[in-house]
Amino acid sequence: MIRIYRQLLVAQIQAAAQYRIQAVLWMLFSIIRPVIFLAAWTAVSTAQGGSVGGYTTSDFAAYYIALTIVGHLTTAWNSFEFEFEVRQGRLSPKLLRPLHPLHYSVVENLVWKVTTFLPLMLVCLVIALTFQVKWSGEWWHLALFVPSIVLAAALSFMIGWVVATATFWLQRINTVNTLLQRTSFIFAGQIAPIALQVISYSLPFAYVLATPAEILRGGVTLERGLLYLVGQAVWLALAIVAYRFAWRAGLREYSAVGA
Amino acid sequence: MDAPVVDVRALRKVYRVTERETGLAATFRSFVRRRYREVLAVDGITFHIDAGEVVGFLGPNGAGKTTTLKMLSGLLYPTGGEATVLGHVPWRREGAFLRGMTLLMGNRSQLVWDIPAADSFLVLKEIYAVPEAQYTRTLDELTDLLDLGPLLHKPVRGLSLGERMKVEFAAGLLHSPGVAFLDEPTLGLDISMQGRIRRFVAEYNRRSGATILLTSHYMDDVVALCRRVIVIHHGVLLYDGALADLAERMAPYKRISVTLRGTVGDLSTYGEVVSSNENLATIHVPRAQAAERTARLVRELGDQLADISVEDPPIEEVIDKVFASERPLAEAMA
Repeated sequence: MIRIYRQLLVAQIQAAAQYRIQAVLWMLFSIIRPVIFLAAWTAVSTAQGGSVGGYTTSDFAAYYIALTIVGHLTTAWNSFEFEFEVRQGRLSPKLLRPLHPLHYSVVENLVWKVTTFLPLMLVCLVIALTFQVKWSGEWWHLALFVPSIVLAAALSFMIGWVVATATFWLQRINTVNTLLQRTSFIFAGQIAPIALQVISYSLPFAYVLATPAEILRGGVTLERGLLYLVGQAVWLALAIVAYRFAWRAGLREYSAVGA
Repeated sequence: MDAPVVDVRALRKVYRVTERETGLAATFRSFVRRRYREVLAVDGITFHIDAGEVVGFLGPNGAGKTTTLKMLSGLLYPTGGEATVLGHVPWRREGAFLRGMTLLMGNRSQLVWDIPAADSFLVLKEIYAVPEAQYTRTLDELTDLLDLGPLLHKPVRGLSLGERMKVEFAAGLLHSPGVAFLDEPTLGLDISMQGRIRRFVAEYNRRSGATILLTSHYMDDVVALCRRVIVIHHGVLLYDGALADLAERMAPYKRISVTLRGTVGDLSTYGEVVSSNENLATIHVPRAQAAERTARLVRELGDQLADISVEDPPIEEVIDKVFASERPLAEAMA
């Protein structure tokens, strides 16, 4: 499997290198939303004497920078890609090979994240200097962030695959994807930190974005950080079970249209 | 006796499709209450293919050929019946099965468009776990047979249709599959490239001993490659046997073409005149009487006759007759 991944990585890097402008545009697009919310909360915080719900302007800036980094590292577009592949007949060649189609997406996802991470960090650095962000974390926040971001990326990826399998029945899942994005927008901690939105703790979306972002900015106690990891692991396990069930059932429905 | 490589028993596939009448009102009605219809694509077909055979799988559009190939390659679950390919049930999609077969579709690409084929081949080598020495040998052989040399290092998106088809063939055969399902492999190619692909398939079968099931609308492909054909229509198996016998059974006549020095007169006493144009005529005569009618034509037309030839009707014509038949030929012959 390591040899397969190595070769897939080489091929994907070669393919990605052909579309550099597209990569830069997507990266900028991922920054725009957090920056807008950061500007809005900074204005609110300044108007209310420097803090909202315990978050100072500097805390908001740290949170949204952390959210940008986490958003970048956890983004998954496989459900959009999967629908396209099914409709264009590109899934069939993959199904004919002795390698699960999921592995191609893993590699594609990793290559995008790795190749665009450095320029993203430069942009984040500029924002941090502009808003005079002060990191208030401990060393264990960083140690906790590593498993948290891995679990978050895996959870986001698997949620994408669960949604993707709906293509087997519905053929078009644009609306399902949009619904998922809107829900995630509301409950993942993008509008506001989830400490201000308690219901988010019971849904999977916060465990993709908000919880690793809170850990990264150093905004949680050790106990709470560990609790976040447990929440992430539980949702990931549920997503994997749901995916395996949906994939098997979906293949029986697959009509191999256009291929 | 060895078990057949492809063993199909009463295989059946029914698609469930939505149906609605035309017009805006029907669209709204369909939005509220959807109507479904069952389409029988493959209706209980049975056949076996032994190791090393090259079999033509014929039928008009919508006959069920591609659906059958998709079931045999594990892409589709059947609605009923059984099948094994290389001893595996295809739709279980076991690794050993997937490593042992290939499905090549003339109008579909399995290569990554943005990178050269040689790089895609390296990915396939790892996916199929092809040992280094075998990979080098197979690629050299395919490069030689298909003249791939100049194409391997160009991005696939820059290749012409014919060039792309050649590298698609190589990609599909790099892991030396024991069974190859070829669905319209020469679709859209010019005559010279069709010939090249045909020669390649024949040579590949000779060298590797692979079992090949081929669909094609170009009868030249079938005539050049397949001694045996399976004909299906409306999902039902109409004929399974030698290509040569198909002509004899379905078209019990010979075609006599005559070229005269003058204008063609009335030739209906020799047989059924199917075409007549100035000094050229084509006559269908019963097979058993072909020699006698030809001799009569030569004798009675004398110096008027510039040329004469006697041949089987073209295979396209024979196949048309099979498709037009009301009931399966297998039943008719039983």
